[in-house]
Amino acid sequence: MPDFSPILTIAARDAREALRDRFLLIATLALAAAAITSLATGSLALHTDVATYMAAKDTLIALGKSASAIASPEFWPLKLLRGTVEQLEIMGAVIALVAGYRAAVSERGRQTLALILTRPLRRWQVLAAKLLGGFFLAATAAGAVTIAAAILLELTSGVGLMLSDLGRLTVGWAAAVLYLSGIYTVGFALSLWLRSASAGLVYAFALWMLMVLVAPQIGDTMDPDNQVAGGVFAALSVPKAEQDRIKAGFATYETIRNDIEISSPTKHFERFTFAVLGIKDTYTGKPLGPILTEKSGDALFLILFAFGLGAIVLLVPINPDRLTKEN
Amino acid sequence: MRQSRTIAAQAMTGLMRERTVMLVAVMFVALVFVSAYLGWAATTTVNAIYADASAYLASVGQPVPPNPVTEGSPLAILRNLSVYVSLIGAFAAVLTGTRLIEADRTAGTLPLMAARPLERVTYARGKVEALGRATAAIILVAAIVSALTLVVMPQVRVGAADWVHFVGFFALSWAYVMVFGLVALGAAARFSAPAAGLLGATVVWLAVTFVLPAITGNVTPTAAINPVSALAAAPDTAAFQLLGDLFGPLSLSESYKFISADLLGYLPDGIQPRGLIPPLVDLLLALGISGGIALAGCLALDPNQGGPDA
Repeated sequence: MPDFSPILTIAARDAREALRDRFLLIATLALAAAAITSLATGSLALHTDVATYMAAKDTLIALGKSASAIASPEFWPLKLLRGTVEQLEIMGAVIALVAGYRAAVSERGRQTLALILTRPLRRWQVLAAKLLGGFFLAATAAGAVTIAAAILLELTSGVGLMLSDLGRLTVGWAAAVLYLSGIYTVGFALSLWLRSASAGLVYAFALWMLMVLVAPQIGDTMDPDNQVAGGVFAALSVPKAEQDRIKAGFATYETIRNDIEISSPTKHFERFTFAVLGIKDTYTGKPLGPILTEKSGDALFLILFAFGLGAIVLLVPINPDRLTKEN
Repeated sequence: MRQSRTIAAQAMTGLMRERTVMLVAVMFVALVFVSAYLGWAATTTVNAIYADASAYLASVGQPVPPNPVTEGSPLAILRNLSVYVSLIGAFAAVLTGTRLIEADRTAGTLPLMAARPLERVTYARGKVEALGRATAAIILVAAIVSALTLVVMPQVRVGAADWVHFVGFFALSWAYVMVFGLVALGAAARFSAPAAGLLGATVVWLAVTFVLPAITGNVTPTAAINPVSALAAAPDTAAFQLLGDLFGPLSLSESYKFISADLLGYLPDGIQPRGLIPPLVDLLLALGISGGIALAGCLALDPNQGGPDA
């Protein structure tokens, strides 16, 4: 039975240090600010839509016509979290990456890694403790953003959140923790393994760009509907049934596009959370159980991403030449 | 002038040896190829969809609208490039700006240079010149690859006016990436902690690319990296009008994407730039301010801070 007490000791030390560290506070506040900005502007835009609908309805009634001539807008408060989830995807990932870099550089910079390894504990225990610290940071930061977003949603949406909404938010938070932990591990591993920790950070940023921005961007751009403002089918005024028939003729293209998208963990996180929170129209209002079943593949990918990368870090031995800042 | 040229030449030689800088530069050039392919693949697909849709509309007796893709400029095929310049191009510039200073610091040459009769302004001029040359080289490669793509691609006819726009787009792209490179250079000079320049400039770049478009026009981060979706009109309300007026001048990525779309011919009808300042003036102002940041950083540079023994 492995001894977990040294892991908890080091992880608790890391947690205490992180709580004292202004970086975590500033980074979490910056992430929360970005996420809340997206939520606030989304909410503002929605209020505009509602006002437009009300004005149109009043006009119809004033003209003596039935208000049912125009469809009333459906209101799902969690849909407003689209921008918040996307900020977590992008900004949250950068912060996780930098936190991973700092976790590696804090030991290398102070030359404490060599000292820790002279103690009677195994190398994997040191690494496990650092990863556990990252998991804690991800849980704290994502938790802070989720709570802030839930409070703002309650205050600005005009519709109270229900218990089921809170359940969905909790599932979304868990997905965010897995996603951010995986990214933290990438930053930590590269900054620990490479000769220079700064070079590790640069490589981690390059990887972040490819994984978080470029792969989803390529997939998104290859979508023909994104090539024309407002959508190509809307521009051509083609009915839905005909759209589906035309799309069927581009199955190979669509498969390649989808494969590029799903090579990115970011896209799995996005698809999972968009479905759980009902942000994507096809999942809006559906019960959580069937959504979780349908999206179990994305959830599994996130679990493998976080824990698989963690396992790789634990399996790769610490190179004695990388114990100090720059060797 | 001779001293600054010597510094610039030495800095360029150093950059050529930097593996991280070369990696990101190669990544950018690779993505220029990807961009050309994407432009071609997406345009071909939309053309095929249009052919199918036209046949259907004709069969049911409905009017066939013009092809939305062929209506625009042939340069629109390069539209993804505006995104890659604002992502990888800007990051390459940030990295270059950072390494131009950090390389001297980690090598321990800063105290040595400070002991010589060398004005800080001259040092700053040399570094800015090196940054300008390095970013121009990357953009030039991107321009050559893009020009070849336009020349060899069938069904694409580029006229003289289009080539003028093409040159304008790459000049604009150079100015845009330089803004971030200069901020990184200034931050790296001002703060001696490792990676401080990289992190400081990256924070600015993140805010400009992903946060400000949300404030000025409710553009979500994912939409911000799609060349077409990023050009969505802001919701028509007094609040967004005010936010656009206030934050529009700071939203450089939107200014850059607006002018890029105009130059490459895919700007949707009726889209107005954010803010009260015209986008080009906005970018030129930003270039001037970032130049000031670089200069101020170099003037405040403490040659004894940091270094290999810190």
